[in-house]
Order: sequence, then structure tokens, then C-alpha cells
Amino acid sequence: MQRSPGQVALALAIALFLGVFLIVPVATVVYVAFTEKGGGGLTLVNFLDFGRTDLFVRSFWNSVYVSAMTVVWASVLALPLAYLTTRFEFRGAMLVQTLGFLPLIMPPFVGAVAMQLLFGRNGSVNLLLDEWFDFKIGFMEGLNGVIFLQAIHYFPFILVNLSAALRNIDRSMEEAAQNLGSHGLRLFRRIALPLALPGYIAGASLVFVKVFDDVATPLLLNVKEMLAPQAYLRITSIGIDDPMGYVISVVLILVAVATMWVTALVMKGKDYATTQRGGGGLARRHLRPREQALAYAVVILILALVLAPHVGLVLLSFATVWSYSPLPDGYTLAHYTRVLGDSSVYIKNTLLYAGLAATIDVVIGGAIAYLVLRTRLRGRQWLDWAASTALAVPGVVLGIGYLRAFYGVNMPDGTPLATLWIVIVLAIAIRRLPYALRAAYAALQQISVSLEEAAENLGATKARTVRRVVIPLMTGGLLAGFVTSFATAAVELSAVLILVQSNSDAPLAYGLYVLMQTPAGRGAGAALGVIAVLIVAICMWLSQLAVDRSQRARGLDI
Amino acid sequence: MSKPARAVGIEITGVNLSYGATHVLKDVALSIRPGEFFAFLGPSGCGKTTLLRLIAGFAQAQTGKVLLDGQDVAPLPPWKRDVGMVFQSYALWPHMTVAKNVAFGLEERRLPRAEIDRRVAQALELVGLSAYAERRPAQLSGGQQQRVAVARTIAIEPKVLLLDEPLSNLDAKMRVSVRRELRSLQQRLGLTTIFVTHDQEEANTICDRIAVMDAGKVQQVGTPMELYENPANLFVANFLGSANILDERAGVPMPAGKRLVFRPQHAGLTSPEGAALRGPVTHREFLGATVRYAVRIGDSEVLIETPFQSGRELRDVGDNVGVDLPPRRMLFLPA
Amino acid sequence: MFRRSALALGSALGVVLASGAGFAQTGKVTVVTSFSKDVTDPIKKAFEKAVPGATLEVQNRNTNAGVKFIEETRGNNQVDLFWASAPDAFEVLKGKKLLSPYKPKATGIAEKVGSYPVNDKDGFYSGFAASGYGIMWNERYVKANKLPTPKDWQDLAQAPYFDHVSISAPSRSGTTHLTIETILQGEGWDKGWRMTKDIAGNLRTVTDRSFGVPEAVNSGQVGYGIVIDFFAFSSQGAGFPVKFVYPSVTTLVPANVGVVANAPNKAGAEAFIEFLLSPTGQEVLLEPTIRRLPVRPETYAKAPADYPNPFKDKNLQGLLTFNAELSEKRTAAVDTLFDQLITFQLEPLKAVTKVLHEVDAALKKKDNAQARALAKEARDLIAAMPITAAQAASPEIKAAFTGGKQKSARQAELEQQWAAFAKEKYTAAKAKADEALKLAR
Repeated sequence: MQRSPGQVALALAIALFLGVFLIVPVATVVYVAFTEKGGGGLTLVNFLDFGRTDLFVRSFWNSVYVSAMTVVWASVLALPLAYLTTRFEFRGAMLVQTLGFLPLIMPPFVGAVAMQLLFGRNGSVNLLLDEWFDFKIGFMEGLNGVIFLQAIHYFPFILVNLSAALRNIDRSMEEAAQNLGSHGLRLFRRIALPLALPGYIAGASLVFVKVFDDVATPLLLNVKEMLAPQAYLRITSIGIDDPMGYVISVVLILVAVATMWVTALVMKGKDYATTQRGGGGLARRHLRPREQALAYAVVILILALVLAPHVGLVLLSFATVWSYSPLPDGYTLAHYTRVLGDSSVYIKNTLLYAGLAATIDVVIGGAIAYLVLRTRLRGRQWLDWAASTALAVPGVVLGIGYLRAFYGVNMPDGTPLATLWIVIVLAIAIRRLPYALRAAYAALQQISVSLEEAAENLGATKARTVRRVVIPLMTGGLLAGFVTSFATAAVELSAVLILVQSNSDAPLAYGLYVLMQTPAGRGAGAALGVIAVLIVAICMWLSQLAVDRSQRARGLDI
Repeated sequence: MSKPARAVGIEITGVNLSYGATHVLKDVALSIRPGEFFAFLGPSGCGKTTLLRLIAGFAQAQTGKVLLDGQDVAPLPPWKRDVGMVFQSYALWPHMTVAKNVAFGLEERRLPRAEIDRRVAQALELVGLSAYAERRPAQLSGGQQQRVAVARTIAIEPKVLLLDEPLSNLDAKMRVSVRRELRSLQQRLGLTTIFVTHDQEEANTICDRIAVMDAGKVQQVGTPMELYENPANLFVANFLGSANILDERAGVPMPAGKRLVFRPQHAGLTSPEGAALRGPVTHREFLGATVRYAVRIGDSEVLIETPFQSGRELRDVGDNVGVDLPPRRMLFLPA
Repeated sequence: MFRRSALALGSALGVVLASGAGFAQTGKVTVVTSFSKDVTDPIKKAFEKAVPGATLEVQNRNTNAGVKFIEETRGNNQVDLFWASAPDAFEVLKGKKLLSPYKPKATGIAEKVGSYPVNDKDGFYSGFAASGYGIMWNERYVKANKLPTPKDWQDLAQAPYFDHVSISAPSRSGTTHLTIETILQGEGWDKGWRMTKDIAGNLRTVTDRSFGVPEAVNSGQVGYGIVIDFFAFSSQGAGFPVKFVYPSVTTLVPANVGVVANAPNKAGAEAFIEFLLSPTGQEVLLEPTIRRLPVRPETYAKAPADYPNPFKDKNLQGLLTFNAELSEKRTAAVDTLFDQLITFQLEPLKAVTKVLHEVDAALKKKDNAQARALAKEARDLIAAMPITAAQAASPEIKAAFTGGKQKSARQAELEQQWAAFAKEKYTAAKAKADEALKLAR
């Protein structure tokens, strides 16, 4: 494991990439947080102001509360799905896993509108409850409403990570426990869960950070007293040169880094899943008819809940008018005919941008994972940390940073660099890099070093070992990272909105945004949203098939 | 645990088990006596581990019964069978200490804390690991891990003990000592024990009786000596110790459809004149106490081992020899 | 094939050269706008038809993001025009020297619409349309909850409207800001804020997007919304069961367009402004999906019968002369006051308002002088302002928000002071109101 010039060059190239496309743009924006009023000298007084302002302190604790509770509820949703589909003979397990991923690709705006129509104060559920039982439930009210929507939106992160971790537990671990008299929930709590803990924590910390930094959902529910919305509202308010928005951005980044750090501490020495192998792959247990009925009921209930936004979206896309009634007044295809013409350019752009961004993410994420786990380069950990902070950089900060950093740079023909669509791709790639990075990490951690040593022992150079042994073995994990990055990149809005320069370069999310600014555009927006979800879902499903095939080809049980 | 538990017997009748198109167990019937140290012996893929997992409840047979102490265990899930199993990989839980691992089954049985502590201490003492109670499995050697796995299983005082290739992850020297420990432990506890292995020496040295399995079928059941002396078929003869197999072309009269089988130790060398089996020596190996000759007979080659006595002249490669085989050492087994 | 396309290219070039000499300049004209596709698409079509060879490149951003964008890209500007409703946004751009002055050649444009001057007095931006503010409501919602139909702003402060009204934050919506500013100028600082807070006590939500309000009313999540007329009219056009009313005293807000400083296609930008103000351009505004009020009085002759006409209709005439200078001086202060006293203190404000509604109801049944006095004290506490009108427009306060070099309080400090002030007053008011309710019952 000595360092080779190739590794040093790779590390430097990645550092340069992160520096130019993440650190510099963000620094040009957030340095304001450290300056005195009027652009004077460096100061920390703004952070004192942060601590002295009730609103910010309140917002901070609200964000902590919402993020923590979201983790709890997301776990409640994810645990049964992950356990049932990985541990039991469960027809449709792959379908459940795929559907369980869908909430992550909820297009902005329309999803929240659909949820308001279903679960809002006067949504379908509450109208019916009111009619039948004379009461309403505030699903979408205040902080609890944010928790409700966020748990539904982000639980796939826990589902995906936990399922992967559960699959990696040697079956004899649980059989031994059963043999000693354990079963059911106790077996899960005492053996499966502790062993899958690293995967669970990885997913849970991701959810925590994403919820902490999410702007869109709280704002669509009109919850402003949370930290990320405060930052967004301040940064995008005109005519006010206020450093507090950037101060909050710095706080957001710090919280994200701290979360990652604590996660790393907790996980230290707990990476069991891969240390014990030998008893063969996974044995799915058989469910008795009664248990099976119960399991299906639980799975269907959870899926109905987490897919409610999509159900609402589909209804909305076919609805003529839907206002203060449990179901739309009538149905029409008009919205689809309206968007069909416009959408082809959006679809093309979305696939191109999200595909390129996800490819960049997988390449860089894989390279960082390799450098951190397989080399002894000094400071390699910094690459990981730097890439992970992208998770916490608000999209609007990154967008403005790109404008500042690249608008002054001209292409040879005089157009500014920032007007090219590739800049949108880079911004999306940076925002989604942490997802691919985590996936690459997980994939590489599961490959025994001895496999590489064997290749080197047989005369392969480091580079050829990577190409012929490491990358083929990581394919499944990398593809999973690609899917996550791709799917979430396809509905990315905040940075895109700032960087889009012309309609012909705009992706779907922008088209949605434009449509959703008018009453007549609501149905059309929903139709475009359905198209977006379908396309992303199909792409995901295809790559999932590819993953399965490659796993099976290598004799790994899924 | 200190006093031998009441040992129970196991009856297996008419068991068939398939995974999809693969017929893993075919009409398996076995009777294991109380307190017996029993082995399932066979090459990998013969179905021996599946049979063990069937007893433990990790596999379901399509037909047939498993009776434990006269009771059909089919309706019982693994956690209600009271069948202790030691896994090939040991399956020690890395997130628990050694003591916690051993206490697990007792906790699942909701025993009082004091009782649990007592029995954990006892089990660890029994396997000589009292000093390691607070270590994590990863901090132990392979042999120690194996003993933790055994302690964890016997702590619950199971009706029977199942050992799935328990020695395969140990080095050769460890194997010999651990198998003796296992044998003496079993003797002290009087526990009905099934031992799965592909190594005939392991089975021969510690087991009371052996079921030799191949291709999902039980080929023969018997004590090690019986199997060696009277193998029921060519597979058993070949799998337990080495055997010479000759067909009618060797020039010896034999019943139709049968083969002549004999052990190398049971034959000697003589002059070719008048011998039924004769041919040239093709190979000679000095093994210390014995000398092993290979003799070509027709198209086949047989091995003969003769005691080495210093001063006595050895045959050379190329010498024509006869094989001296007493009729009582001749076995005629179905082809 | 090649020859034909070469021919086409040649003739196209010819047209460009010919028209370039004669009529307005052509080519790509880039606008940053907050207007929706429903508005921009018909105008783009009409413009490209009226000015051959021109293409309109529309970048849709909300007003704030648009301003930010032009500000951030000033070093290498690629945008020709900024096109939006809120005059404040134009004032900000003007203040940062991001607009270049242009005096339209078109004649026959009104000087004033309602109480607002149509054009910037310094000539940096021009009004091309106006819109009126009013109240929109969901008929099904109102019927199901047995609520009244409002006529005037003050109605929204009444008890039945409690928890049913929505507005967008003035700091997030230039048009809402104008409405608040108009109320403040019309009623005076203290009385204006009192009325604003009375209505605010009934708010269900304060949204951060202008469109959030009509969206919530359309889907029936709130009953009433304070919105620009075209939001309501286009909602009706889309089939939603909503109604709209202009209050007896309404505010008309102009929609503007201005040339961005260092525009790459200045001539094209000017051509677009001239088109917007031309009779053809003004007529496009009458289209149902756009439905803005033209600034050319003669255009109304072509409008449908019930089309509002600010040059004729009494309630759209405007009672005061809008003081744009005063507005500009205290923009940030007004927005921040609204946020700190209302948006982020909505819960305590609503809590006391609810009790006061109950006190009123109880007093109606059985009068009690002491309770009446306490309720008035509570209302006065709610109405109290941390700063006076003079302070709000003072350079010291303004400096806190502009990040200028002057020594002044930091924005965060002011915000915390104001928030603490509001919290204290609302808590005290709640105590008084609770006491009044005990007495009145």
C-alpha cells in the first residue's frame, strides 16, 4: 500500500476539481459571514448575533427537532420494508425495493401541492374524516407536517442502506440466534439490527443532514422558523445586504460536517457485516400464512403512505378542477397534450444533465473511496470531508457561487463560462456527489483487500488491479450510487433555477417551476411531474436490473 | 450441565428434500441412539449439512419425518427445538462479548440473571475460556472462537448437539486436540451429538457410528470398524480408507455384476507363479513402517502395503510379482 | 439541399440587413422576468411577429432571484431587459446602477394609473401595465364553513375570518409590499400598522411566494387570499371555484420594464419596450391568460364589457398620491417590521386576536365597561410600533440594511430588538385580553 505517482496525481486532480467547483464558489459567497458590516475586516460578531437572535436560536432547535424526528419516522417506515424484503420469502421484494425508492424522485412544488390536496387541512383525508367522524388531523400543520413529508420523502435513504447492510449479514448469524431460542422481533432487535447498524447509521445520518438542510419542503408548508429556510429567505431577499443568510449557511455546513464526524466516530470498529463470511449467502425464511398476510398488510400500508404523493400527483395530472373536495371534479387528458410539445426538450436535457452528473459523481466518488480506503496518502481524508460538505451547501449558495466564480470567465467566443449548460451539470454533480461517494465507500469496504493483493501478487500493477479486479467487483455498488445520484439529480431545482440561462437549456425541474407559477399550469405541472417520475423510474429500474444481473453473474445472492 | 442430561434419540424416516429441481435428500432414514456420537460423513454436496439443518429446523423436507425423542419436530420452528448447533463459521456475534454470546440463549429463555451468570461461567470453564469472558470474538484465535461457539450451544443444555464441520477452520494440530476435547466433553455430558464432516479420519476417531452419505442418499450406517471391514458398496469402500477395485478382466472368478475389492494392507507380495493376480511393479514408496507397491494387473493398478522389516530384500520397479490375497479378505461388491 | 439552405441563409441575411437599416434592431433579445409563461408566451409571439427577425429569449426567475442574478452577473452582463411587476425591484437595480435610462418614444401613454405614476421619474424604467390588488376566495370553502363574502380590507379583520386568510410576505413579494406601503401612506404610519396587524391576527399563513396565496385558495387550503387581480382571474379561467373583489379603496400596482446596464443588445431591448407600449402590444395585455390593465387609455375600447378600467372606474382611481421616494427610503424597514412583528410572531399574535374576538362576542351579549377598556388596552399594545415613521425613513435605519460603510446598528441587532418588542407587547396584550374575557363572560 505504498503511494504511487498515479495515486498522487489522481488525488491532486480530485482536489483541484473540488477546489474549483465546490470550495472556491462557496467561499466567494460565505466569506461575507466573516466580515464586518460594510465589507470591513474579518470578524465573528455575526456569529454572536446569530446566538443572540431568538428567531435563529428557535429555528436551530426546530431544525434539530424536525431532523431527529424525521429520522425516527423514516426508520419506522424503512425498517419493516427492509427486513421483510431481505429476510423472508417475499413475493415482489424487488418491486417493493424499487417502489420504496420512488419518494426520493418527487419533483419540486407539485409533490407538495398533491400532498396538500390529499392530507392538507382541507385535503381528501380530512374532508372525509370531517364528514364521517367530525374531526380533522393536522398532518401538514407546522413542524409535524414537515416531519410527515420529510419522513416520506427521505426514508428511502434508510431503506437502501439498511437493506444493503442486512443482505451482507452472514445467515449463520441469525440462524445461530434462532437455534438458541430467539425469534421474531427479539431476533431482529438483538442480532440483525446491531449487525446492520453501520448501514442504518449511514442512512440515518444522511436523512438527518438532508432534512436539516432542506429548504423546499418547510417553505411549501409555510414553515419558516427553521434554519435552512431562514438562510434561503435571507439570501434571496432583495435590497438587503445582510450577512446573516451566509452566517446561517456556514452553520448549516458546520452541522453537516459535525454529523458526519459523529457518524464516523460511532461507526468506528462497528463494521461487522463484512468481517464474518463463510456460512454462505442469505437464507430467506418462510412466512406462515397468517404472518404472510400481516407482512403484506404492513408493506402495502407503508407503500400506500409513502406513495401517496405520487398517487396525488397522478390524480392531479388528470384532474379538471380539484378544489375543496375529496376527489377531482372530473378527468381530462388536456394537461398531457399541453406539456407534450414542450417537454421533449426538457426531458432530453434532464437525461443528459442527470446522466452526466451521475457519471461524474460515480467516477469521482469511486476514486475518493479508493484513495481513502486503499492508500496511505496524507490528507486523503480531506477529500472525503470536502466532498461530503456538498451535502450541506444550500443549492442557492452554490448557484450564486457559480455565478460569481464563473461569470467573469469567458469562453474564446466571448460568452461567459457560466452561461454554458455544462455549468448546470457541474453544479448538480457537486450537489449529488455525496450520494455516489457513500455508495462507492460501501462497495469498496465489502471487497477484501486480499483480492487485490492476489492480483498484485500475480503481477498486475496497481492501475491494472483497479481496472481488472476492483472496478468489476464494485460495479453493483457504483451502479447503486449512479442510480441515487441520477434520480435525485433529475429533480434538482434550487441551484438549477439560478443557473438556467435559456429555455432550450432547461431541465424538467425548471419547466415544472415555470408551469407551477400559474393556476392553469397546476395540472400541466403535475403531468410534467408524472412524466419526470416515470422516466427516472424507468432508468432506475433498468439499472437495477443490470445490478441484479451482475450480482447474479458473480454468484451473489440478492 | 454438570450431570449428564437425559439423552434423547433421533429417528429420521423417509425424508425427501428438493430445492427446485435439485433433489438434495433422497429417502433418508436414520436412527440415532440416545447419547451416541454420530457422524454424517460424505463429500461436499452429498446433503449432509442439509440433513443437519433439517434437524435444526433451517430446512423443510417435502416428505418424511424427524422424530426427536419420539416427537415429530416438523411443526416446531428452530427456536423451539432445543437443538444446539455449532456453525461451521461459528457465527459468533461480533457486537457482543464472549460472555454475552454465551448468555444469549439463556437470556432468550428468560432465566433469572443469577442463573444465567452461573451457567455462563460454568460453560466457559468447561471449554477453558473463563479468562476471556469480556473479550470480543475478533480478539480470539480460531480455536478459541470454536470453543466459544461450543460453550454458547451447550450452555442452553440442548437435547442434542449438532456440529457442522466444527474443525474445518482449524489448523491440523489444533484439529487433533480439539476433536479429543469434543469427544471427552460429549462423554461427560452424555449428549446425543451429530457431527458433520467430509474427513473420514475425524469421523473414525471420535464417532460411535457413522452414516456415509453420497448424492443425497445414506449409503451405509455403522461403526467405523464395520464400515471399514464390510463396506456396503464401492463408494463406501473407497471413501473410508483406500481400496483396490478390480473387475472380471483381472482374471479372478467373481459373481456377475460384482467387483473384487480389497484393502492394500490385506494383501502381500509373492512369486508370480501360480498367483491369480500378477503383474510388474510400477512404483515403490517407502513409508517408514510399511512399503507401498503399485502393481499393474491387466489395465488396472493395485496398491499393496507390506510391513517394512530391515534386512529383508525389497522388490524393484519392473519385477514381476504375484499378489497374495487371502480369500477372507476378498470382498465382492456390486458395481 | 445545400444550395437551398444557402439561398435561405442569403435571403434571411438580406431581410436582416434591410430591416436593420429601417425598423428597430433585431436579433436575440434576452429578458429576465418574473412573469409566468401564460403572460410571456403571447407577448413573445406578438413581438416576434411585429418585429421581424427578432427573437425573445425568456429567462423565468422570481423577482428576487432575477435581481440577484443581474447583480451577480454584472461584470459580464448577458441580459438586455428586466421585466417584472414590483417597482421596488427596479428601484434596487437603479440604486445599484444596474439599469440604463431609456425614454420611450411612444405617445399616448397615461401619466398615472390609480395613484401610481406610470414611469420612473428618472427614466430608468417604464410602466407598461397595471394590476389591482384585492381579495380572492374559494366559494366551496366559504360555503362549507358558512363564512361571509368580504367587500373591504377591514372586513378581513372581523371575527368570522379568523384563521382563514392568507397573504404573501412583503419581503418576498414586491406587490404585497406595495399594498402594505399604500395602506401605510393612506392611513398614516400608526393607523396603517394597526389595521395591518388587525388583519394579520386572522391570518392562516404568510407565504414566501406570491403564487403561494392563490395556490392555497384554489386548492381550498385557505378560504381567502390577498392577491393581485390577475391571479384570481386566471384561476377562474382555469375553472377553479373562486371569486374576487376589488375593495372600495384598492391599490393599483404597475408592472414595469427596464433596460439593463451594458445590455448586449440595447437596440433590441428598446425595440421591445416600444412594442410593449405600442397599441398592438397593449392589446395583447387584454388576453384572458394575461389580463393586465393597459396604460394606454384608448386600448380599453377594445376590452370586454366588464373589464376594469382604472381611468374610469371610481374605486380604481386612487385617493392618494403615492410617494415613491418615501417608499424607497423605508422599503427594508417596512419589510423587516412586517416579518419581525407579524410573520415570525404569528402564533402569539393569533392567540391574542382569537381571545379578543371572543371578548367582542361576549360584550355584544352583555356589555362590560371594564372589559371593554381592557380589550382596548390589549389592542393598543398590539398596535404599538418599535419605531416611528420618521425613524423608519431615517438614514440610520436604512444603513443597517444596506451594508453601507456608515456606523450603524447591524440588521440582526435591529431584528432581535423588534422581535423582542413584539413578543413582549403581544404577551402583555394576551394577559389583558384574557382578563377582559373573564370579566365579559
